[in-house]
Amino acid sequence: MVIDLDRCMGCRACMEACKVENNTSEQIFWMNVFRYEEGDYPDVTMKFLPRPCQHCENPPCVKVCPTQARYQQDDGIVLTDFEKCIGCRYCIVACPYGVNFFNWKDPEDNYYGLDWDDKELDSVTDGAVPPWKNPDLDKRYGPDERLVAGSGHFRGTTEKCTFCIQRVTKGLDPACVETCPVDALIFGDLDDPQSDVSQTLRKKSSFKLKEELNTNPKVRYVGQTAPQTDGREIEAIPIEARD
Amino acid sequence: MTDLAAAGRTAIAKSSTASKVWYGGLGVFMVLGLYAFIRQEVGGQYVTGLTNATPWGLYVAVFVFLVGISAGSTIIGLMVHGFGRKGYAPLATRALLVGLIALAAAVTFIMLDVGRIERAVFVPLLDRNLTSVQFYSSLSYILFGLILLMGLYYTVKASRGMSTARDAKTGRWLAIAAVPFALVVLQGVDGALFAGIQAREFWNSALLPPHFAVGALVSGTAVMMIVAVVAARIRGRDLVSRDVLTQMGVLLVLFIAIAAPLDFFDFLVFRYSNTAGGDEAWQFLAGAQLPFSILHVGGYVAAIAILLSSKRRKDVRWLTAAAAVALVAVAAYRYNLIVVGMELPLLPFFANQPYWPSGIEVMLTLGVIALGLCAYSVLTRVIPMEEEDADPAASPLDATGQTWTPQTTGQQPAK
Repeated sequence: MVIDLDRCMGCRACMEACKVENNTSEQIFWMNVFRYEEGDYPDVTMKFLPRPCQHCENPPCVKVCPTQARYQQDDGIVLTDFEKCIGCRYCIVACPYGVNFFNWKDPEDNYYGLDWDDKELDSVTDGAVPPWKNPDLDKRYGPDERLVAGSGHFRGTTEKCTFCIQRVTKGLDPACVETCPVDALIFGDLDDPQSDVSQTLRKKSSFKLKEELNTNPKVRYVGQTAPQTDGREIEAIPIEARD
Repeated sequence: MTDLAAAGRTAIAKSSTASKVWYGGLGVFMVLGLYAFIRQEVGGQYVTGLTNATPWGLYVAVFVFLVGISAGSTIIGLMVHGFGRKGYAPLATRALLVGLIALAAAVTFIMLDVGRIERAVFVPLLDRNLTSVQFYSSLSYILFGLILLMGLYYTVKASRGMSTARDAKTGRWLAIAAVPFALVVLQGVDGALFAGIQAREFWNSALLPPHFAVGALVSGTAVMMIVAVVAARIRGRDLVSRDVLTQMGVLLVLFIAIAAPLDFFDFLVFRYSNTAGGDEAWQFLAGAQLPFSILHVGGYVAAIAILLSSKRRKDVRWLTAAAAVALVAVAAYRYNLIVVGMELPLLPFFANQPYWPSGIEVMLTLGVIALGLCAYSVLTRVIPMEEEDADPAASPLDATGQTWTPQTTGQQPAK
């Protein structure tokens, strides 16, 4: 994935799309857009940094996972097998990008006040399947048929961005890419020189988050410089308010 | 099993008022712990103070502290086998018991910390990931637990006069193997659990495994000093001689003299590494975590101040106080290590998420510790302690042909 920071306007539509597509619980943001500022007054710049899982080529989370619940597919996508995860949170600790989220309580108790059994919703959606009951998310993926998406999610396990595996396997773009109104997110094969991502990378200078750690993220940023050490968050997502 | 249970009931029936108060107090904490456990299991771990920004906290800190006690106390208890220090013989069984219970409690804390206990128990057996330090650490707990169990078996067998020459030899080799295993494997791997995490600047130091090993020696020595003094009080006669207790005090100050500079210089290098993490860590240690920093540094300084005085080194009360403050210092260090390591932001603009354990976490922690103390108290009554029932001729201690006389008989309790 290539993220063009010159285009991103911090609207967070990608976060919303991710939530709708993957049905993640409250305080869990597989895609997160950080709004931060750099520099000193009066030379202060406001910046945005969309941050999905970086799907590292050399993923620390895969190395530390004691049960191989966290693994990497041949195409490079890093996934979590919810049936093997023991919830030790070693992956959260080891990830330099903070992309992992633990389900601290039963997900059904943690969904923005939606009542799954509310019959009135049926009339509103006109019989359509609500996104949080997307049957694709309960399918098994990959040669080993592992449960890596999951519409209900699972208490006591860790989860993160899957690059919308349920869409990618059908040849679709991830939901965040599909939704971005300014095409700041581009998805494709980095190994294919003709792909949009490769062509974009040839046109603009790019950086990887925390490049010095040699995790070699497969998410590349173009258009601006990497976040500086004086970056200050200007709008925190209150993840401490879990109750 | 039935014999053990009957012996336990008899022991408790014979208890004095003081021990009834002791067990009653432990019972209260255990009930509170059970309540906290039910709350956590029914509702989920949202009842803890942990967040996705601080996913490890009190449970993990107590876990590393207890593994350190397990390793350290075992080494002290095996001084007699591994290093031929006969004066430590009366501590051997108790040390193995402390090691075993501390290890079991440590593993319990990990089980309380994970989200899926029913899967976690199979980590070393199923789906193992050979690149994960956690796999090796879980394996090391099992192996160390087996070593301790076997050590306890041979020691108790010897105390009952049922030991053969082969048992004595096996027991000695077990002891010799346990010392490097506890220091290098158990503590080394435990330190590597954290040191190998590149994302966490505060932990990512090759010095962390040695820190863990030395910290284990400090806490293990301190715990065994307290055990020796408390056992003497209960028995009404000394468990080990005053000279041995003073020697342990010397050992303690020696271990602190290694641990404290390690802590200091490791942090000093990090502080002056010109990284944002170095500044942030300093702000945490001197700010939100200051009470624990004071306990860490102050505990070591107080212990050294007590133990450097030759007069105080011979006074049991001062020795006990030094052991207690050293133990608190190690606990505070472990807590700060975990919490500060977690709280340093991964990216500059990540908001800090101050962590403070919830009431449920504290109750559950105290409950498990009370359970461990209760298990120790009951088992020391049920299992024959070698210094009471030892038959020196059958003891593994005599594998070399030398005999030893418990130095406790007829001595007055330590004052």
